[in-house]
Amino acid sequence: MKGLLHIELFKLFKKIRSWLGPVLIFTLIIIAYPLTVEYSTSELAKSFYSILWLGSLMTIMFSTEDIFLEDYLDGTMDQYIVNNISLPLIVFIKIFVYWLLIGVPIGILSFIFAIAFTSNFESSLLIGVISLVVNYIYFAVFSFGNSLSLNKGSLLSSLVCLPLVLPILITLGKFITALEYALNFYSYIILLLGVLSIIITIIPFLISFILKAHLD
Amino acid sequence: MFKKFFHQFASPKTFYFVSQKIFPYLFWLSITSLIIGLIWGILYAPVDKVQGNSYRIIYMHVPASFAAQSLYMMIAVASFIFLIWKVKLAAYVVKSVSLIGASVTFLALISGSIWGIPTWGTWWQWDARITSTLILFIMYLGLISLHNSFNNLDKADKFISVLALVGFINIPIIKMSVNWWSTLHQPASITLSSKPSIDLAMLYPLMICIFSFLGLIIAIVLRAIQYEILLREKNKKWIQSI
Repeated sequence: MKGLLHIELFKLFKKIRSWLGPVLIFTLIIIAYPLTVEYSTSELAKSFYSILWLGSLMTIMFSTEDIFLEDYLDGTMDQYIVNNISLPLIVFIKIFVYWLLIGVPIGILSFIFAIAFTSNFESSLLIGVISLVVNYIYFAVFSFGNSLSLNKGSLLSSLVCLPLVLPILITLGKFITALEYALNFYSYIILLLGVLSIIITIIPFLISFILKAHLD
Repeated sequence: MFKKFFHQFASPKTFYFVSQKIFPYLFWLSITSLIIGLIWGILYAPVDKVQGNSYRIIYMHVPASFAAQSLYMMIAVASFIFLIWKVKLAAYVVKSVSLIGASVTFLALISGSIWGIPTWGTWWQWDARITSTLILFIMYLGLISLHNSFNNLDKADKFISVLALVGFINIPIIKMSVNWWSTLHQPASITLSSKPSIDLAMLYPLMICIFSFLGLIIAIVLRAIQYEILLREKNKKWIQSI
């Protein structure tokens, strides 16, 4: 398992555009946001969170585009199956590596931008942590979509997957409202963690079923 | 005996001939009862005290939105059967119902939006039930476009079934969360568990409309599956002899 993790990490790390590109795009989206509204700090803070969530959603949607494609085209996937290496494990490691190299920087950037826009350290820290959790969920769901539309481009997968993540966005909105009015927001964090635990266990099996169908 | 019946009925050939026999009865029966229900509802049912005559679009809107949700359930059951027992007919059901479901959901959205003008004064409101129906519509479109993008139909059947099952698990979650988010729409007037909050004189024609609309949809689904069978199995001997 350690070897597999090492290989996948190395493979993604070598493709700089695949992991640095999304992080830069996320930064550009957040930088572009203040340019679209007339400058005043209170106006900016009002809809900053929705831009943050949508920006990370869009970035992750693009960044998972080729998560399984290269392995599928160059026959690595066939090798895994022939050598009897568990496919769900590979899928889990792939999603984890993507999260580590793209999701974690986006989480840290969300924390930094939240401080810049709202100048409240504690709530920004919470935003960063929530962003880490939610990014993993996005990665899992969009990899599911990309495994469905493996060599048909990411447009199809986003059409298929966006309806599935809408409840997450609603929960995030509720969380932000609770945070702003100093209500009890721990229930939302626990809800998101529950979704995360379900997704971590189920998605690798679903994706490996689909990948096997692709290889047949 | 039960098992034998299912195995027989699941063969496309038997299904084709049985549905060929059922289709005219079901189609004409439900068409006539739908017309009766609509005439009863539109011309003879009492006027609503608050909404006036505009409420009468209920006789189109409620059956359509009822069918829109039941059809997704039908897709989910069929895809479950296809994935577990590899029944080919179930895959044809999934494919053909997704098209019909999308159009019925569209009908529900359009009729609801027309109803919105006299009652709420706007075509569109970001309200829970409307939004979740719109999401349902987009999910139907996703199913259709996923199936269309593969040339290998066996693969396409498998993927569309997996997606339909995942979507089916997600639909109640979407509904609950959207409800949680905001609501303006009146809650459902007819539920199984409690007494209907609608006058009986309006309820009877509505019931007739719902059931006959469902019957009509089932008849259309039967025809669509027959079409799918003819398309996919055109090289079989029994089809060439028809």
